[in-house]
Parts: sequence; structure tokens; C-alpha cells
Amino acid sequence: MEEVSFSYNQSPFIENLNFGLKEREFVGLVGPNGSGKTTVLKLLAGLLRPHGGRIMLWGRPLQEYTGRDRAKLISYLPQILYTNVPFTVEELVSMGLYPYEIMPQTSIDEALGSVGLYEKRNATLTELSGGEKRRAFIAMTLLQGAGILLLDEPMANLDIRYQIELLCLLRDLRLKRGISILMALHEVGLFPFFDRVVVMNEGRVVTSGPPSEVVTEGLIKQVYGVEIRIHRDARGSISIGLI
Amino acid sequence: MKRSFYLILVGSLILLPLLVLTGPSFINPFRMDKIQWTILIRIRLPRTAVAVLMGGALGASGAVLQGFLRNPLADPYILGLSAGAAFVATIAILTGLLTFGVFTIPLLSFVGAVCSGVLVGLMAYRKGGILPERLLLAGVGLGFLFSSALMLLLTISSDEGLRRAIHWVFGDLSMADWSLLPYGLILIGTGFFIAMGRAKSLNALMLGDEVAHSLGFNPYRERLLLFLSVSLMTASSVSLGGIVGFVGLVVPHMVRFFVGADSRKVIPFSALMGGVLLCLSDTLGRTVFAPTEVPSGLITSILGAPYFLYLLRRRDILGG
Repeated sequence: MEEVSFSYNQSPFIENLNFGLKEREFVGLVGPNGSGKTTVLKLLAGLLRPHGGRIMLWGRPLQEYTGRDRAKLISYLPQILYTNVPFTVEELVSMGLYPYEIMPQTSIDEALGSVGLYEKRNATLTELSGGEKRRAFIAMTLLQGAGILLLDEPMANLDIRYQIELLCLLRDLRLKRGISILMALHEVGLFPFFDRVVVMNEGRVVTSGPPSEVVTEGLIKQVYGVEIRIHRDARGSISIGLI
Repeated sequence: MKRSFYLILVGSLILLPLLVLTGPSFINPFRMDKIQWTILIRIRLPRTAVAVLMGGALGASGAVLQGFLRNPLADPYILGLSAGAAFVATIAILTGLLTFGVFTIPLLSFVGAVCSGVLVGLMAYRKGGILPERLLLAGVGLGFLFSSALMLLLTISSDEGLRRAIHWVFGDLSMADWSLLPYGLILIGTGFFIAMGRAKSLNALMLGDEVAHSLGFNPYRERLLLFLSVSLMTASSVSLGGIVGFVGLVVPHMVRFFVGADSRKVIPFSALMGGVLLCLSDTLGRTVFAPTEVPSGLITSILGAPYFLYLLRRRDILGG
């Protein structure tokens, strides 16, 4: 994103935002409600058009891509997924092939195996737990073969076990498949899982960097208005606790 | 796909020729006289063909509409097309208008349905495409308006006109004629092929606009095309034989119970099941109380509702 601006109903929301995503990077986009996380993800996904600046994808403006071509490079999963549809897991995952005329090498079985849902391939979406539904959608994006995965608060409504399971899965997939992941989230305690954390507030990036460097007690208080305690071990890794 | 569905399908296809021969008097295909031959060719066959075409159009339209509106209660008539068609057709029936001969009622009802469709489409059009919530509300609103006007017309009409109009409103296939079929076939066929061509995008739209966009589709454009396909099929169906309820609402649910949610299967099988159900209803309607004909729309509901409730009890067909 280069100098990107966006307005809702003529009132500026995001102004001159600069932001980049490297190959195989696992980035957490964090900030309070209304800070602009979802807007940034939607701009990157092509769902919203910037009113100023430009978004480049592999050296070419995002808007120049056709829907199909864009879908082969970027996939986006919104926070709210319509899962009350009796598609089987296999039917859902195979939709990842829709952008292609000629089927890519990645097989449905492989995608299902990657998210641990091979055994449930014939189950309908409505029969899955919240975490399994998320994983099924992620398998669909894997089959889509996009190098960039944008996730809007995938942890919402998942208990801590599923949250950690999902983060470990994504971290694993990033290494095995070489995909870059940008994820909006609220859970402060999960920040250490990321390579980089981008902190947003009021439509602008407050700071960006490895969680061990940028996440400080002062920053959290400034952005969220709450006090937390951050523990650092000898290697510089952090763990976060509530006061 | 479950084996029982294949059995129902094969059974239905065997049933169709039998339904053509059944009526107030059964026609033995091996011992027909000249009158029976004429009845078969000029009345029963075109009537069966129209029933299959109409039922097919309603079944497929319901499948498409429930998918892109993400609403299990949507049926083709929710768009207000039928109310518009009924209003115009009733005016023609009550005034005895016969400007275009046998084509008068079908043509005028088609015009009424298309005008309603255009109005609803314009009201739902935003951001270069159709918004589902607006489409639903505009359809319901316009439907109420036309239905009220229709009731007003019926209230002030003569007994004979009232009887004919009510018969048409509940689905009247008695006017079926070979001359109507090519037009119905072309219009419904076009709508059906558009729907089948957009079946993948319909699947994606069922997962939400944002997921559909992520898979490379333009949700607004896709919905516009699907709306066009539904409008074409519903308007043609209503113009062929009036308003037949229930088929468009329930047949897609029945089909989903057997084949799952993939629109590439649901649309064609809904068309097939819809055609068979309406054909069966029409045969019963003209046979059971002969010589009085019961409108097909009533029979489809009487036949389909208990089966639908049975399926609902066995499994939540609205979502697993």
C-alpha cells in the first residue's frame, strides 16, 4: 500500500497509509475496534477501492487484475462466514479451484490433509465445530493457491484451544506452502505468535515490527487504554499477562 | 447422492407417460379411437408439456433464488412477478380482452411479470448490481401493492369473471396449447441456461459476497444475471398457466435433502422434480373431481406440504 487513503461517506478514515507484506511473512494486524483493520484488509482484497494512493501486487496495481487473476494471488476470509449451508467439506474446499480453467496440481485431499479435515470430508458444514469450519475455509483458500492470505478476526468465537490450534496451523502452512498471512485480531495474548505486529489506531499505523520489540506496556495502554504486564525471557521472547 | 433419490427420479420418469394417458377417462395407448387420439395429441400432451415446463421453471427459479438471497423461505413469487402478472391477466380476463386470441392472457401476464421484475430490479439496484435485502423488500412491497389491486378488482367483478380469474390465479393449465410451447421453451430454456452457467458463482454467493469476491466473482454482476434468469423463468411460467404455489419454495429443499447444496446439481434436479410434481398435480386436479377441475396450485400444496413436513421432521433441511 503506497500513500493509500480511504473515506466512508466523504469523511476521511484512512489517510496516506503505507504498508507492505513480505513473502512468507506472518503478520498480525492489531488495534482497537474501529481502528481500520478490516478496512485495510478489504482494500488489500480489492473489496474496497482506495480514494488516493495505490496498492501494488507483484509490481502491478491491484485494480488492473481481473477477478480471476486476483483470486489466484490473494484470498480473503471475512470475520463472518456463512456456514449454515449444507455443503460438504469436500464441496466447499473444491470451490478453491473456481478461479482456474485448468486445475492446478494441488489436490483436494492434500488441502484437506493440511488442515486435518481429511476424515471429515463428507461431513456437511453445519455438522462441524466453529474451529473446524474455519479450517475448512482455510483449506479452500489453500486450494485456491493464492500466495497471500488475508484473515479478518478468524479467532472470533473460538475458544483458546481452537485459537492456538489455528495459529499453529497457519504458522505451519506459511512455512510449508510459502504463503504470506495478514491477520486482523484482538487477542493481545496471541501477539507473540507473529513475525511482525502492525498496530493501528484511528486509521493509521502507530507502529510495526517484531512483537518482542514493538509491543510494550505503554503502547497497549496508549492504543487500548488498558494496563497489562509484559514478561521478557532471556531470548527476548515475550509473554503477556493481564493486571 | 442417495440411492433413494435415483429411485424417485426413475419412478418419476416412468410416471410421466402414464400421467399423459390418465384423465377423466384413461386412454389405452394400444386401443385408441380417433377421438381419443385427438384428445391425447391436442389436449393431454401439450398440457403435460406445459406442466413439465412450468414446474421445471419454478423449481429451478426457487433453487437459484434461495441460493443468492441466502434465504430458505424465498420462492419465485417473492419478487412480486406473479402478483404483477396476476393483476394484468385479471384485467384481461374480467374485461374479456381477446386482442391476441389464445396468446392474450399469456402475453399480457408475461408483460405484467416482466414490468414487475424491472421495477423490483430497479429498486434493488445499487453499486452496479442487485442487493439481496433490497430485492427481497422491493419484491414483497410491490407484491402487496399488486395483490391489493387484484383483490379490489375481484371484489367488484361479476361472478363468472371472478370464477375464471380465481382459477387462473391458482394455476390453470386448461388453456395449454401447442402454439404456446415454443415461446415458453425458448424463454425458460434461456433462463435455465443462464442459471446453469452461473451455478458456480451461485455456490460462492451462498458463502457470502466477500467469499465470492475472494474466489474471483463480482457478486453484484453475478446476482444481476441470476435475477435475470429467475425473472425470465418465473415470468414465462406464470404466463403459461397462472400462479402455481409451493413448487418453487419446497422442491429445491427436497432436492437438497438428497443431492446436497451444490447448485450444479440442485438447479437441474429441482427443474426435473418441479416438472414431475406439477404434472402429477395437474393430472390429479383434472381427474379426481372430474368433470370439475381443481387448480394445479392447490394440488401441489396438498401433495407437497405433508412430504415437506416429513422431511423437516427427519432432518433439518434448512441447514443440516
